Amino acid sequence: MKKTSVIVLTLMIAFALAFTWSCAKEEEKPVAEAKKEEVMMADAPQVYKLGLSLAITGPTSDAGNPYSKGVEDYFRYANETKILGEDTIECFIRDDQYKTDVTKRNFEDFMTEGIVFYLNYSTGSTLGLKRDFEEEKIAVVPASFHAGNLDDSNYIFLPIASYSKQMIGLAEYVATNHAGDTPKVALFIHPSAFGRGPVEDTKKAVEKGLKIDIVEVVEHGKDLDNTATLQRLQSKGVQYVICHTVQSPVATLIKDAERQGMVAGEFGEAGKITFLGAHYTGGNDLIALAGSAANNYFWSTSYTLTSEAGPGTAAQLDLAKRYGRDDKAANSHNYTNGVMVAQIATEVLRRAKASGKPITRESLYDEMLAMNGYNAFYPLTTVGPVTYSQSDKEGVDELQIYRVEEGVFRAVGAPFMPEFAMKM
Amino acid sequence: MSANRWFATGNFFTTYKEEQRIFLTNIDRLAFALFLAALFIWPLFFKLSNKYMLVIDNILIAIVAIYGLNLVTGYAGLISIGHAAFVGVGAYTLATFSQLLGDSHVVITHAWPLMILVSGCMGAAFGAFVGLPAIRIKHLYLAIATLSFQMIFQWVINYLKFFDQGQTIYIGRVRWLTGFVGRDEHYFFWYYVIMFLVVVMGFGVRNLMRTRYGRCLIAVRDNDRAADAMGMHPGFTKVYAFALAGFFAGVAGALHAYLYRGVGIESFTLHQSITYLAMAIVGGLGTLPGAFFGPIAIRLLDLQVEHLAEFAGTILTGAMNLATALKPLAFGFVIVLFLMFEPRGIANWWRIIRTYLKLWPFRY
Repeated sequence: MKKTSVIVLTLMIAFALAFTWSCAKEEEKPVAEAKKEEVMMADAPQVYKLGLSLAITGPTSDAGNPYSKGVEDYFRYANETKILGEDTIECFIRDDQYKTDVTKRNFEDFMTEGIVFYLNYSTGSTLGLKRDFEEEKIAVVPASFHAGNLDDSNYIFLPIASYSKQMIGLAEYVATNHAGDTPKVALFIHPSAFGRGPVEDTKKAVEKGLKIDIVEVVEHGKDLDNTATLQRLQSKGVQYVICHTVQSPVATLIKDAERQGMVAGEFGEAGKITFLGAHYTGGNDLIALAGSAANNYFWSTSYTLTSEAGPGTAAQLDLAKRYGRDDKAANSHNYTNGVMVAQIATEVLRRAKASGKPITRESLYDEMLAMNGYNAFYPLTTVGPVTYSQSDKEGVDELQIYRVEEGVFRAVGAPFMPEFAMKM
Repeated sequence: MSANRWFATGNFFTTYKEEQRIFLTNIDRLAFALFLAALFIWPLFFKLSNKYMLVIDNILIAIVAIYGLNLVTGYAGLISIGHAAFVGVGAYTLATFSQLLGDSHVVITHAWPLMILVSGCMGAAFGAFVGLPAIRIKHLYLAIATLSFQMIFQWVINYLKFFDQGQTIYIGRVRWLTGFVGRDEHYFFWYYVIMFLVVVMGFGVRNLMRTRYGRCLIAVRDNDRAADAMGMHPGFTKVYAFALAGFFAGVAGALHAYLYRGVGIESFTLHQSITYLAMAIVGGLGTLPGAFFGPIAIRLLDLQVEHLAEFAGTILTGAMNLATALKPLAFGFVIVLFLMFEPRGIANWWRIIRTYLKLWPFRY
């Protein structure tokens, strides 16, 4: 044993020394490699590498799947129609099954491949990799609109208004359109950082004068029946429930409410409850899950919907048709979401190229920051322009309220910017 | 024992001391030293991408965690379904320091070996506490107690604002002799640190099993009343088995936090506990080599099934649920196959190969 200890100890010391030496040697490598990676040859057609890690399978894949199709289709379209001339985009799309450790692995893989722009997905992984984005100085557009993504961050850009803005926007809509005393509101949220984040901001808006009374904050579990919750809310006089979660718990909630005759037929109907929700609570999937109970559900997002014809939605349907997507994917707002982030990435590439800059992470980041004022981007898939700057990392600031009428989402009024969100 | 210390064939022991030796022949010792040297040298010559270094580092962390699970479940026979929570205790010990002092405080960045030790000790303290019911209850009931700890741990982290309700709590970059360890050498650096700990702790476990404390674990597992009659203290043995397991888990948790540079609850869920249990079973419960084989097998299986699911997802776009189900299906299938056909795990194959080589060129 004594001999073994001596051998092991000697080996350890030798490798510690070797390791120290190699670490010192390693310091020289990255500079040369990074330069090789980032400085592109100007003359020959270039391939710009991008990465997307998202949940194609596993939890939330119902959203991630059409999202990935949207990204894939738009980049194919951009390459085929030569939006970047002879240059092309190669976007690596990897499934992370909604797991942060897998996302981190994918991100490291993308960095080795030499990506210049990154598209992420979940709130957890965006928060988890925030430091990596900062260190790599790479612009990131996630599918998560969590306002916390922007705290202590320079490189994360939300595609549309944050969940907090959406919740405040819905609360403002309630306050503005409610007839009578201060409306009593309950918040129905996902039991996670994603769900809890906007609650504090909504409460702050109330403190600043938003006239609603938050009676209760309900964190849903995996309940298959919400009868007791709904009875309790009604006994407390709740008139509006603002949801911030994903579609299935909302579908369960409103189906139970319909069974008990609690769903308001019109906004603010006395003695009934009007249900409203932020981006990931709505869409066609909600209607498919909840059926008739979804009628009169109010939903906020910044995307255009195919149920409301317009130039953007027509282009979206053409794109989906061009690449053989089924109706479900073509009409999904998550498909729109995927198309829109791909549009942003393509646009910054186009602008950087047009200005004669080398396509690097740095130049694309600069182009993202310059996307405002006269340089705002109008993708047509959103209800307002995409604007970014050093102090504004939320792309589309406008929100559109939609309401389910006879099984279809219809726009209610014009797009608006939540007033109290601006005050905060 | 054979007079030739290099090419001894078969088992010839004349004293207990001889039987307890770690290396039976000089060839064994040399082979091990060369293998160890190879493990430490290869990264200097073959530069793997960060992705694969991350995978390897992850496997090594799982080995540290499985050392602990193997002690409590394999050697001591106490089923623990909350091992990920003990790993989480280690990680959240570090997160606590990060929350109190700041993620780049000198204690975290410079005194990281101390932090890893403190995390291990915290894991041991929680392990001993959770192990207390083992004095009174055993088998399935004990398993439920550990499951409860897992649930309580998740609930506490998810709801305490101090822990950011399970969101990522950042951990700063550590400092080494050459300065702060940057992104480029991060995984490389932690490979050496974790490998060092794997070797040291592996020797620790191996030596523990040569002491009376180690033999107590096995005796209590095989028959605690008989062990009691022989003068051992089954209650104390069970509690310290949990404490030891907690220590290894705590160290693994701290390493995980440093490697990922953050701590989030999703790495310490019940699913992760079951994965650790699967690693221990597939590797071979109650064997030291099992602690290596299990994590390697399960992590590589995970990786391959991920690739398969991704591929299936691209060709079976209409049947996305199939791709979603592929991973848990493959995972469950492997465990069932091992339980049915090789309950002693991959370590048994290793034992068969070693026995064959030891007897070679004779058949028996």
